[in-house]
Amino acid sequence: MNRRLPLPDGATPSFVGQRALIVHRPHATVDAIVRQLIQLGITPECHWPELPAGLDLTLYGAVFFDADLGHDAQFPWGPGACPMPAIALIGSEAPGRVAWAIRHGTDAHLNKPVGGGGIYAALLIAHQAFARRQELRQAVGELEQRLAQRELVAAATAALMQAEGLSAANAYRRLRRMAMDERLTIEGMAARLAGATPTGELRHDRA
Amino acid sequence: MAQTLPIGVLFSTSGPYASLGREGFLGASLAIAEINEAGLLPVRLAAVERDPKGNTEAYAGLCRSIVDAGARFIVGCTTSWSRKEVIPVLEKTGTQLWYPCPYEGFEGNDHVVYVGACPNQHVVPLLGHVLGRFGADPLLVGSNYIWGWETNRIARDYVEARGGRVKGERFVALGDTDIGHIIEEVRLKRPDFVLNTLIGPSSAAFVEAYWQLGEADPAFDPARRPIISCNWTESEIAALGARARGHLTIAPYFQSLDSAANARFLATMRRLTPEADRPSAFFAQAYAAVHMIARGLAATGDADVDHVLAAAKRDRYEAPFGPLGIHAETNHAILTPHIARAGDAGSFEVVASTEQPIVPDPYLARSGPAADRRPATSGEAGAGAPRPPHLRLVK
Repeated sequence: MNRRLPLPDGATPSFVGQRALIVHRPHATVDAIVRQLIQLGITPECHWPELPAGLDLTLYGAVFFDADLGHDAQFPWGPGACPMPAIALIGSEAPGRVAWAIRHGTDAHLNKPVGGGGIYAALLIAHQAFARRQELRQAVGELEQRLAQRELVAAATAALMQAEGLSAANAYRRLRRMAMDERLTIEGMAARLAGATPTGELRHDRA
Repeated sequence: MAQTLPIGVLFSTSGPYASLGREGFLGASLAIAEINEAGLLPVRLAAVERDPKGNTEAYAGLCRSIVDAGARFIVGCTTSWSRKEVIPVLEKTGTQLWYPCPYEGFEGNDHVVYVGACPNQHVVPLLGHVLGRFGADPLLVGSNYIWGWETNRIARDYVEARGGRVKGERFVALGDTDIGHIIEEVRLKRPDFVLNTLIGPSSAAFVEAYWQLGEADPAFDPARRPIISCNWTESEIAALGARARGHLTIAPYFQSLDSAANARFLATMRRLTPEADRPSAFFAQAYAAVHMIARGLAATGDADVDHVLAAAKRDRYEAPFGPLGIHAETNHAILTPHIARAGDAGSFEVVASTEQPIVPDPYLARSGPAADRRPATSGEAGAGAPRPPHLRLVK
């Protein structure tokens, strides 16, 4: 499921057709969330205390979870690894409880009791925060991989200096040119020169 | 005003925490009887009583039925979950809850008046008293719900800010009395003291087992390694008898307080509610809440909740535990807690008292665990700003 909302300025975001999980004991707050989700065209699914085993998590666009009585073992994902936008339902503002909700991973929150509004804004904020989180995670992953390969770049530069009698600056320029010609990252090209496994063959989008 | 004025009394006098609910119920009932007998108001207060039987999900509906019976003021609730359940009803109907129990803080609702202590009036001054005397390395044990979780978290924060180390933290399901494994942990880790935020039968089982440990090994004599608690009552200590001797607690009220106001209160109690022979802070605070409502009604001449609350915030009522005021900014009581040691016969002997009333700080914004390590900002030193309490030793 594509959870990214197409949100060009001025567009009206819609969640129609999505499904949402609600992890909270049966309560008036759950009834209020269900009513609002149905208005938004979202199919709610309520579970308590645990989410059932074998749930296909890719089918859901968001999860609402109880921050008051919640604990990590209720969820098939680990702390911070919720695979969908997560909205904490907060009754107690005791910092220990809020800290758990943050640790577990929350993209937005609603104060209990939930009444006749708030779900739509919370979903919009949660989807944006989740998308930003995913983009950052991916970008950091790529950067970490490149960072890990900087020794290869240094080694490849040194090898070119020696083999072709180049200065350090020219050897690096040569390496970069080779990478561009082969449509590889500098790290990927360095790995290839070093005869290493080509784990660094990332698309070099900015070349 | 009408001939009678309904007032809600919403306590669980049956169910898992009935002993605490009964304290609140009897305290409120005593005040209503006393006010009516003395004709302190031009109307009679008529109690509208409901018993949710400890079932959290029943509170909202019963609160609604109290409001439907015409009550604008409700004295009630023991647990935080139950208080949070009735708040939507209060907000919807413009009514007011007077909540008479200590709790873990981090709330300040316009429709609630918090008459019990919040953390800067219970666990923080209690730890301040204990750390210098017994050491800074406690073991924390609590019932597995918000009171235990949050009070223990504050304690950990406080202890670690002072170089102490929490030697262990254990939670027990509500009502569970199987605590042998925790006693074994205490025996092995030898903490300087145990903070006990257990409630009801779990707490009694723990104190009993700790006493057995102390009988077998003098290292666990309460004079050297006490259990401390912020939620003990006279009745539960009386039920434990000599097995609770020497352990420490904190509350604004103890039956043993030596004051004219307390003597009058106890005499009235024996006359009007003789079944309540061991009143605790839970009892005295519910009693004081009804009196503050009545004084507000008398001062304003109407039954508007906002007017009565405004009057209460200007009032200074001589409660059984001393002068009681309501803090204008937070709706919480300004209290003077005492630290007491359990004696042989289920009584508490006050060993230290705060020198001045402590202004409530429910979010621990100014008086939190590391407060004395923060520089004071201008304005905080002024009257009315919460400060870390100074204790006056009595014994």
